[in-house]
Amino acid sequence: MRTFWVLLKKELRGFFVSPVAYIVLALVMVQNGFSFRAALSILETGSGSAGSIVKWTFDSGWFWLSYFFIFPLLTMRLFAEEKKLGTFETLFTAPVRAWQVVWSKYGAAMIFYCILWLPSLANFALVHSLTGGVVEMPEGELRGSYLILLLMGMFNIAVGCFASSLTSNQIVAAVISFTVSLMHYLAGIFILYVGRKVPEIFVDAVGYIASVEHIRTFTSGLIDTRPVVYYASLALLFLGFTHQVVEFRRWRP
Amino acid sequence: MIEVQDLTKQYAGRVAVDGISFFVRRGEIVGFLGPNGAGKSTTMRILSGYMPPTSGSALVAGHDVFRDSISVRKNVGYMPEMAPLYTDMRVKEYLHFRGELKGLGGRELRRRTGEVMDLCGVTDVRRRLIANLSKGYRQRVALADALIHRPPLLILDEPTNGLDPTQIRHVREMLLDLRDQHTVLLSTHILSEVEQICDRVIMIHHGRIRACDTPRNLKNQLRAAAAVHLELQGNGKVIKELEKLPGVRKAVEEEPLEGWRVINVRVEARNDIREAILDLATREKWRVRELHQQLPSLEDVFVELAASDAPPRNT
Ligand SMILES: Nc1ncnc2c1ncn2[C@@H]1O[C@H](COP(=O)(O)OP(=O)(O)OP(=O)(O)O)[C@@H](O)[C@H]1O
Ligand SMILES: [Mg+2]
Repeated sequence: MRTFWVLLKKELRGFFVSPVAYIVLALVMVQNGFSFRAALSILETGSGSAGSIVKWTFDSGWFWLSYFFIFPLLTMRLFAEEKKLGTFETLFTAPVRAWQVVWSKYGAAMIFYCILWLPSLANFALVHSLTGGVVEMPEGELRGSYLILLLMGMFNIAVGCFASSLTSNQIVAAVISFTVSLMHYLAGIFILYVGRKVPEIFVDAVGYIASVEHIRTFTSGLIDTRPVVYYASLALLFLGFTHQVVEFRRWRP
Repeated sequence: MIEVQDLTKQYAGRVAVDGISFFVRRGEIVGFLGPNGAGKSTTMRILSGYMPPTSGSALVAGHDVFRDSISVRKNVGYMPEMAPLYTDMRVKEYLHFRGELKGLGGRELRRRTGEVMDLCGVTDVRRRLIANLSKGYRQRVALADALIHRPPLLILDEPTNGLDPTQIRHVREMLLDLRDQHTVLLSTHILSEVEQICDRVIMIHHGRIRACDTPRNLKNQLRAAAAVHLELQGNGKVIKELEKLPGVRKAVEEEPLEGWRVINVRVEARNDIREAILDLATREKWRVRELHQQLPSLEDVFVELAASDAPPRNT
């Protein structure tokens, strides 16, 4: 366990000295600014649509704009760089186990990912205090929104880790994880689309993999356990794959 | 300290190490020699617990490299070829991290970090980013990393590659100093280094062990002939007469030097023909200015070994 903390500390440090991480931070802050601005204008015009400022912020086109870029940029470095530098050899001749390495890299990426969303929380707090509490902070919707962000992060970052473990080229890693994230999103959209024309069963399936639908549900403050299980188990699956790839050199015929 | 039995490693059907067996005793410094692609690095990677052998077994400090790889790694200080390091870290920070990873902590960690930095001469650059270090300094940092947890066994893959002559000598002296507490297995292409510090040499070629002995014995066993260097003044048939001597393979005339003929006489192994040459010279009334035997060097052993062709095995 001690080894895990040592590794986690080192990986986290890696994020804070890496320019890419700051670019992602900037990207997310800009995106947040735009979607928050859009949400505020809905509030101003009072266009009557149901929801809250939290829902309008996350259930918007702006959100999806940055969504696909965050994960590849955060994770592409993790394993690919070690392979490129040859430090895999120094790392795995120290007394460390593969799970410690995989989980420390994943953990560090998750922590940084969570940090990315802190400014958005500050936005809400600010508007709440500036308007003297007139703009409500619906607790359920806040909780739901950040939970779904966390879940999607868990899944996509695991995909990114896996992609990065496959190659020593960061660009290739980024392209793979971008593609998988996008395909997953499109599959959800596609099922939503055909779901209108085909039997009910498909509409049920929608609940399972359509990220758009998940966002819609959770940002309304409804917490559905099916997506929770879905994202968590997919994350575990991809981390398992990553572990296998990292241990590949230890396989015996 | 190391016991290797029938170790074989295949990469995608190519055999890199082919059934080698050897041992290294506690306190020995053993040199691992062989031409490029012989399988030295592969063997060292297996011994340091990085990857398992395809078949065969290796015990390091009493632990099996496959089943008990973590215990093996705790006992080994490994320095890979090319000294890979995290380029975005500073020297001291890196060594601190590696020490922590290898189980050091608190005051002991700080003390060891300082000690190995002094020992390897990187104290001056401790605040520099590793990305900006020269090759030699990176090599030193990697060596410091291998030493930091006081491992009983050091496995060093070309540790002096890229160091300046002063530093090479420094590393050599350091290894000799360390021999009380450490067993060392090192690979290198610098043969003089091996002759100076190694108790034993293991020569490997195409993944198989070709020789395993002390440097001195290896040179004695050498099939390649020693040679006698001669400088004399004499009549025309010098070469012919010399070649008539028993045990002489060939006499080669070289560029004359200051009016003296320079002749190199190649001799069959384990023949000393210096007296015979002198007797001959006296009889023929040649004037001899110089006569000395050139002993085979480890380089000769190496070159002969590398030239002998055993085709690599494919599966
Ligand atoms: N990862 C790998 N995949 C496939 N083949 C490899 C791999 N690593 C090494 N080899 C092959 O295994 C053989 C032995 O390589 P190794 O690196 O052990 O040689 P070496 O003795 O260290 O050579 P050098 O003196 O150049 O360092 C070579 O033929 C090499 O091409
Ligand atoms: Mg090598």
